[in-house]
Amino acid sequence: MSERELIKGNIAIAKSALDCGCSCYFGYPITPQTEIGEYLSYEMPKRKLAYVCAESEIGAINMALGAASTGAKVMVSSSSCAVSLMQEVISYACSDELPFVLVSVMRAGPGQGYIYASQGDYNQSVTGGGNGDYHTIVLAPSNVAECYEMTQRAFYLSQKYRNPVIILSDGMLGQMAEAIEPVKNSFPEIDNSSWILSGAKNRCSRNIHSLEPNQDKLNEHILKLKRKYDLIEAVEVLYEEYLCDDADVILTTFGSMGRVAKAVCNYYREKGIKMGSFRPKTLFPFPKDKLAELSKKTRLFIDIEMNTGQMLKDVKLSVQDGTEVKFIGKPVGDWLRLEEITEKVDLILKESYAANV
Amino acid sequence: MQQTYSIPKSIKKDSAFTFCPGCDHGIAIKLVAQVLDELNLRENTIAVASSGCSVFLYNFLDVDCIESPHGRACAVATGIKRANAAQGKDKFVFTYQGDGDFASIGLGESMHTALRGEKITAICINNTNYGMTGGQMGPTTVMGQVTATSPTGRNSEYHGFPIKTAEHIALCDGTSFSARVALYDIKNILNAKKVIKKAFENQTKGIGFNFVEILSSCPTNWRLTPSEAHEKIKNELSLIYPLGIFKDIDKVEKE
Repeated sequence: MSERELIKGNIAIAKSALDCGCSCYFGYPITPQTEIGEYLSYEMPKRKLAYVCAESEIGAINMALGAASTGAKVMVSSSSCAVSLMQEVISYACSDELPFVLVSVMRAGPGQGYIYASQGDYNQSVTGGGNGDYHTIVLAPSNVAECYEMTQRAFYLSQKYRNPVIILSDGMLGQMAEAIEPVKNSFPEIDNSSWILSGAKNRCSRNIHSLEPNQDKLNEHILKLKRKYDLIEAVEVLYEEYLCDDADVILTTFGSMGRVAKAVCNYYREKGIKMGSFRPKTLFPFPKDKLAELSKKTRLFIDIEMNTGQMLKDVKLSVQDGTEVKFIGKPVGDWLRLEEITEKVDLILKESYAANV
Repeated sequence: MQQTYSIPKSIKKDSAFTFCPGCDHGIAIKLVAQVLDELNLRENTIAVASSGCSVFLYNFLDVDCIESPHGRACAVATGIKRANAAQGKDKFVFTYQGDGDFASIGLGESMHTALRGEKITAICINNTNYGMTGGQMGPTTVMGQVTATSPTGRNSEYHGFPIKTAEHIALCDGTSFSARVALYDIKNILNAKKVIKKAFENQTKGIGFNFVEILSSCPTNWRLTPSEAHEKIKNELSLIYPLGIFKDIDKVEKE
């Protein structure tokens, strides 16, 4: 049994990475994720692991690409406007089928925005800013324990599918300390001996490249990637349901907002309104089938995000035709509080509850 | 009968160069392959190709190879070298890039890799233009040179000045070796091989960052015959970009 520790979300991610064998970290400072790099700059050299203060986020993510080709477990971390700089390599890594973990601790945007808490990078992570037909796996933790667990899962999934995995955290979660019990990796190690670059000794030389001048081969390659993403969508979906079974109204949220959603449910349950909360833990693959199923019984959904409605479109695409989907959001600043949300939910219920129950 | 020549082992058996007639990439890659053979490095090598004509390296060299995004080969090589070191392995890692790749879009990554003294080797083919896209002005295009995007010739007021890459890299404290060579005649080809060998050997000794700039012909985009292109390197370019070794030290000072 591990000891309980009081740590920040950012440190939980860094610690978890070391606990599951991450041997390379490349980073560049940006608030609110800097603690990850600071913690690792202290811990990794002690263990003779690779830690490089890169000259830029572009340098860092390209180092990750190279390190990933050797089969090492590799992590980079950054935030919003700096994750924008990394989009090129995310696209390359998807085509090259190279695994690494990218921790994206959201701050407010667009552009530099500021270091306020926000969830404005759902689109950046899930639909991406890189070119071509690709997907990253996106995990969205809601508390410090999940930061720890999901980092282990991220390394496992990235190795299993040979694809970058994004851990989408936010400034609030990164800076918030909670007591957790770090439980070490129970995921199996993945054999990568068939594809890594290690020098062509006693085997043919290997090439890793995304350039493909032959259009038939390029088509084949993209369709192969598509089949992989289809498989991921079929088997890797994770979500958290809270009081959804008998719910007349379901709140949909991701990441830190899931914490508030549960409090909102409790508030309305006490008033006799059957409210549930549904939180995707994987943003890609998105739990669209589960939402479709829930919407057979529940006809009113309220999506709540710290942005102007990014996951909203995926919720709308998932639920059955005729389901009412409302939105409550705030782009930036102090996190939406219970009272702010209930004030808006009251109005929605007044308008829509009777019609949907 | 005694065999006097054979194709290097580090060249793929089934490959034929696809470069334009008279292009020096073929000679440069052959020299790299010969040196890998002579130093017995082939089986321990990971090469990094980049964007532009240099990307096709992996079609010709029979070593493990990864393609880098445009300009970032030195950063990718850093990741490979460091990841191996973290596993207690010492791999031979080199990049093969063009001048646009190394010294324009990738100058930041290249320079910082030199400053960090990464124990890798970088080869930069300088043909004074962007070859693959049809000969546009690059960071090394010389004053007055006509290209697809400097139709009246490079002009300092309008286009700024070209970069002397090998001299700049030599100024970085983490650099242990920096040189410029050319391939326009036998004497220079033999010398280039010696210089590449030194830049490779330095890495195996773990000294610092090692760099070789190779002045190369681009007859197609220069609108010259192969021999005219070599004359141009001999009589014009090697005066602007002097050949020689700009830095060669046995150890990088540690502070």
